[in-house]
Amino acid sequence: MASKIISATIRRSLSPRTLPHIRPLSTAAAVTAAAEPYDETAGISMKGVKISGRPLYLDMQATSPVDPRVLDAMLPYFVSRYGNPHSRTHLYGWESDEAVEAARAQVANLINASPKEIVFTSGATECNNISVKGVMHFYKEKKKHVITTQTEHKCVLDSCRHLQQEGFDVTYLPVKSDGLIDLNELRSSIRTNTGLVSVMAVNNEIGVIQPMEEIGQICKEFNIPFHTDAAQALGKIPIDVNKWNVSLMSLSGHKVYGPKGVGALYMRRRPRIRVEPQMNGGGQERGIRSGTVPTPLVVGMGAACELAMKEMEYDEKRVTELKDRLLNGIRAKLDGVVVNGSTESRYAGNLNLSFAYVEGESLLMGLKEVAVSSGSACTSASLEPSYVLRALGVDEDMAHTSIRFGIGRFTTEEEIDKAVELTVNQVEKLREMSPLYEMVKEGIDIKSIQWSQH
Amino acid sequence: MTTAVPPPSRTEILSLFRSLLRSARQFPDYNIREYTKRRTIDSFRDNKILSDPASIAAAFSEGKSQLEVAKRQAVVYSLYAPKIRSIMDIKQ
Repeated sequence: MASKIISATIRRSLSPRTLPHIRPLSTAAAVTAAAEPYDETAGISMKGVKISGRPLYLDMQATSPVDPRVLDAMLPYFVSRYGNPHSRTHLYGWESDEAVEAARAQVANLINASPKEIVFTSGATECNNISVKGVMHFYKEKKKHVITTQTEHKCVLDSCRHLQQEGFDVTYLPVKSDGLIDLNELRSSIRTNTGLVSVMAVNNEIGVIQPMEEIGQICKEFNIPFHTDAAQALGKIPIDVNKWNVSLMSLSGHKVYGPKGVGALYMRRRPRIRVEPQMNGGGQERGIRSGTVPTPLVVGMGAACELAMKEMEYDEKRVTELKDRLLNGIRAKLDGVVVNGSTESRYAGNLNLSFAYVEGESLLMGLKEVAVSSGSACTSASLEPSYVLRALGVDEDMAHTSIRFGIGRFTTEEEIDKAVELTVNQVEKLREMSPLYEMVKEGIDIKSIQWSQH
Repeated sequence: MTTAVPPPSRTEILSLFRSLLRSARQFPDYNIREYTKRRTIDSFRDNKILSDPASIAAAFSEGKSQLEVAKRQAVVYSLYAPKIRSIMDIKQ
């Protein structure tokens, strides 16, 4: 056993020098040789990458694991209480309806709203569609203008583009280099025919918190409906629909440790905001969203919201400590680390870092034992750098090397330490091979170099 | 609200604490296991300062219902445990 560990250590120390290209397998292979006493093939091999175990999860903005207490609340509605909540004639329907209404109250409590103002949907994307397109279509006689930001979620931007094709005007507000919008620009872009202002509360890529109360005040002053995508904010920062003066709010279940496939839309009753429904049918959910309400998912979302209310303070303190540990750990060993987005007005659980002189794809390929994301899950499929970072004014090369660490309720200190170790190793390895970094260390200013054309 | 529930004794509280930690160990998922342990320890530590018997009884019954949830979910998570464990469980 000891000789195995010694040989593995020797192999590990020799491999970067014997093989000139990156070997992301070297650390995992060395570990499996040392740690597995049994001879079964340890590890998973997917998409050409071999890892010894399931990666540690640091991608909480993409989705969050379902809390066991939420699962416990949901299971009876899959197993025995499987009725349709809209069946009025028997026990199955009655108990299902009771559960849906209880969940509605739980969601409403978290945002200081009334249960009558909550409509259950299939997720925040559907809520955003109903809000943006539904509101503008309802008021299309008088209101032709929408104001939103350049850093919104793709579903809001795509809905606005759809509205533009239908003939509406859309203003995309630019953001400052810290990711926040300029309130004076918002004020000056309001017109008499503005029908909606849509600004997300917490950005999914960079985690900045927009000045919601101030924006709410401006919208109240001009009497314009204010919609916010609070999918990332729910359960993480305190939300009060009256303090923020929002008319519409999109909420998502799977970002608060609930199930995927459910969301809720908050629609203010005083003053009443009207929308044109995007889903036509039997008139469920007050006609706003027809279709059978999925009782188990809705119960899960309610339980998750109730939990979030109880645990918000504890989670927030812990997540901030872990974020400091991560950032200080990385900064202690590496220079050229930039935090994207404002450091003051920020949700601690979203840490978006750019590493200078490192190529993003190769950094991610070497970090296979940590589940992180670069850019948002919606845009990481394409190769272009994230539009949010571009809106911040980040240089192309820095935008490409951005990594988003998502810290959540279940993250442990050991996972953070391991993530620091893996990231630092990978970045150092890549920088050692980088000729650009060599030039920088010698004191040459990269931007002043005249690259010769061939 | 008829008769007041008698506040739990020290042995009962300690027994609940130990049962919660024991049920935490049953979870095959690394993150859930660590979270259950940590949350139990932190909650019991925070509730140590409670002096009013009604709130102590309420916290105790809350703890007992959480124990039931943890026991059930430990079974469910074990039934569906992935064959390959988390990297944090494998590396020493």
